Formats: sequence, structure tokens, C-alpha cells
Amino acid sequence: MKQYCFNIIIYKDAVLMIEETKIQNLIARYLNGECSDAEISELLDWCNLSTQNQIGFIQAKDIWDLANHTANRSDQQLIHFYRKQFEQSERSRVILIYRIIAVAAVFVVGLITTVFYPKTPVGSVQQMSVFSVPLGSRSKVVLFDGTEVNLNSGSTLTFPDRYDGNARKVTLTGEGFFKVKSDKKHPFIVKTTDFEVEATGTQFNICTYDNDPFSAATLAEGVVSLRMNNSQQAFSIKPGEKFRLNRLKKNYNQAATDVESELAWKDGEFIFKNIPFPELVQRLERWYDVKLLWSGKNLESYAYTGRFKNQETIWQVLDALKLTTRINYQKISFREFKISYKPNN
Amino acid sequence: MTDFDNLFLKYHHQLFRYTLKFIEDENEALDLVQDIFIAVWEKGQYRDNEDRVKGYLFAGVKNSCLNYIKHQKVVKRFEQHAAIRMKEMEVTYYLSGEQSFLEKEAIQKIDDVIESLTDIYKEVIILSRFEGLKNKEIAERLNIPVRTVETRIFRALTLLKEKISVKSLMLFFIRKRISPEPF
Repeated sequence: MKQYCFNIIIYKDAVLMIEETKIQNLIARYLNGECSDAEISELLDWCNLSTQNQIGFIQAKDIWDLANHTANRSDQQLIHFYRKQFEQSERSRVILIYRIIAVAAVFVVGLITTVFYPKTPVGSVQQMSVFSVPLGSRSKVVLFDGTEVNLNSGSTLTFPDRYDGNARKVTLTGEGFFKVKSDKKHPFIVKTTDFEVEATGTQFNICTYDNDPFSAATLAEGVVSLRMNNSQQAFSIKPGEKFRLNRLKKNYNQAATDVESELAWKDGEFIFKNIPFPELVQRLERWYDVKLLWSGKNLESYAYTGRFKNQETIWQVLDALKLTTRINYQKISFREFKISYKPNN
Repeated sequence: MTDFDNLFLKYHHQLFRYTLKFIEDENEALDLVQDIFIAVWEKGQYRDNEDRVKGYLFAGVKNSCLNYIKHQKVVKRFEQHAAIRMKEMEVTYYLSGEQSFLEKEAIQKIDDVIESLTDIYKEVIILSRFEGLKNKEIAERLNIPVRTVETRIFRALTLLKEKISVKSLMLFFIRKRISPEPF
């Protein structure tokens, strides 16, 4: 008889444990956004059974919410705050302009900054807006004239806040795809550190990161002319052509290119064809906002071709590279990886 | 930098993260936090002592989140009903005065605490939270059943909670000892 009771107790415990594990799994699924509405309903019922259950769930979720790296946007938001105040209050405008400028000046380096200066012109000061995209993300702006610009990771576009009736001039560092609103009377000009691209109504891509050894312009449609900053030398680029400047050797070439893969980034795809390893690393770093450490001549001597969708994580990309090429990788810290050469399989 | 700027920069990120607990859309969350700062600015409350200002900010965010959720309930009358009720339960809990770890400045400590976990727990947290992988993808990556991934995630969260609580307690203890004796 005693033996019988004992068995029942064990059985009850086992049922409780299974029940507990089931709820724990349900919570883990809920947190990672994998529950149907019916399952959420089940979890909610469980929470409502006792205060202890409720607290258990809420605390697990609290830690889940804590263990996250959400980008800090406080700087950009503070500027946004002052701008909103500025737009709303007439009377304290002057003070607020100074606040915006002062705050903006503090955050000049490496920021997601949207700075807006006063809407009414002050003397001959040109009012400019700065639009920056942080590493690891992409964005799109529509300019004063209706021109659409897609900006790739780590890019900055400066443009006038208001159209003054002359040429439409913008400045770019990083990579941008321009869909220029047609206006034959007012040419659209993109200034970069190396050259200026002038168009009236076309679609083109410019890639001009400060830390790259090259800069380039690719034309999808229409006509553009490109003028070098230092020599005033001018080139006319045709659709499907790419103009590429080698900043180190100070030479350039202009040739037909695969426009589709050049522009894939704007649709969240990452396509690269025969690019050298250092360039691949640079692009992955920007695209995923990670640091990839590497060294060695062996790695440099290969050219890489591949295609990734935006959804893939850096792990998946590195795994793919590891499987298909002589690369091995090792995680160092949260967003840092070390890449090494794997001599033989 | 004015006092207001410092206040904004000190609490903005914390409030933003806190809002994301209840509102998943980042832009909506940012707008909501902006409105709280506007209220504190317009009423001049930011000139109060810091503890009180922090109180206004968090109370404001909690109330706005509850209003947002109530609005969602009306807008999405039939879809995702349980999900919205879940959020409502959560925000009501915090409105009763309970503090979240995000309110207690645990943001800076969490990375160290995650680092201190054993590998099997650390990896599920990193893959789910920092790499954004779904439980099924983690299971495939680690070659273990999905149920095991889920159990490990829950266990990891429990361990993190214990470790974070101990860390906060120790800090409190140290502060206590350093502060001068009243006599």
C-alpha cells in the first residue's frame, strides 16, 4: 500500500515538471515572437492563474528586453526635439536656432544626424540639411524637387533645405542611388570628394566612401556627365556603364558593367562579383555594422563572387564563405570577428 | 549643454528601450518618448530634482503606453487580441509601481552578466537577441531540438535575472558602506 502512494507522488511530480517545461517553452516562443494568437491566449490564461505566474512571466520578459542592443538614437532625437520646438514656437525662434546648432555641433562625428536650420533665409547663408545613415542600415530620402535618393550604410547626403531656383546641388559621401526628377532647366549636381556628376533626369548610382581606395559612378538610365574636381576633365557616361576611379594609382576606367548587381543593395540584396578581399570586408562591415579583423597576403590574393539577401545574418554570410572558400572565422566579441586563411581543406 | 540636454541624453535611451517593451514599432516608440520630453519641457518640470524628474518621465511613458495599447484594442478589434491583452497586462503591472530592470539602470551591467554565463546559455541569448535568429534557426545552427533551445532560453533568462539582482544588491551594499556614518 505504501509503495503505491509513493508511486503516485512521483507521477504527480513528473506531471508538474512536464507542465512547467511546457510553459517555459511557451514563454521562450512568445518572447522570440513565435506564438500564434491562440498560444498567447493560453499563456495569458496561465499568467492570470496566480500572481506568482504573472511575476514569473513578466520578469523573464524584462530580462529578455534588457538583453538587447537597440541603437542609441538620443543625439539625433535631441536635435529632432529642438527642431519640433522651433517649428511650433514663433517667439523663441532665435534661441532655439542657437540650441539646434550648438547641439548639432557637439555631435558632429559619426552620427545619424538630421540638422535643420531656419526656414527663413538669414543673409546669404545657404540652409543645408544633412541626412546620415548609420552603419548596418539603409534609408531613403525624397529631396525638395521630388528626386528620390536611396542611401546605403554609413552614407551622408547634404542638400539645401529649400530650392533657390538655380541648379540643384547635393553633396554625397558613401553610396547613393539617385532617381532624379526630370527638369532640363535646372541640372541636378552631385558633388563628391573626387568628382561632380551632372544630370537632368536620370537614374544613377554613386559609390564614394572616404575610406575606400576607389570611387565610382554607374548609370542605369539617361545621360550624365562627370567632371573631375582637380583636373576639370569631363566624361560622358552611357547607360550600363561604370566609371571607376582608383584613388591610389590616380587612374580611372570606364566600361560596361552589370547594373543589376551594382544596384542590388537598394533592394536589400548584397551582390558582389570578382571583388578583392579587402573590399569585401569593407562592404560586409558597413552592411552589418560589424568589425572584421584579418591579416595575411593569402586572403588578399583571391577575388570573391557571391549573392546574399538582406535577411541573412553575418553568421550565415561567414558560414557560407567558410564553406565555399578558404576562410575560417572566429567570434571575438559581440560584433567582432576574426577571419583567417585556411591553408587546406 | 543645458540641464535639459543632459537630462534628455541621460534618460532618452532608457525610456526608448522601456517603451519598446510595450510598443514594438520603433518609430511609434520614439514619437511617444518625444512627447513625454515635450511635456516635461513645456511644464518646466525638468528643473525639479532629478529623482522626481525621472519619476515624471517614467510615469508619463507608462501612461502613454497604456493609452496606446487601449487605442490598439479599439483599432484592431478582432486581430491579435490576445497579444494586445498581454501587453496591457504587462503595462498595468508596471503602473502599479513595480520597477523594470530597464528603470533600474541595469542596461550597463547586462553585457557583463551575459558574458559570465556558461556557453550553452550564452550562445542561445546571443543568437536570439543579438543575431535575431528564430528558435528554429538556432536549433538548426546548434544541431539540437527546438524544445531544448526554448528550455535553454528560459533557463538563461532565469540565471541572468539572479545574477543581475545580485549585482544590484552588491552595488547597494557598497554604497551603503561608503556613505558616512550618521553619528
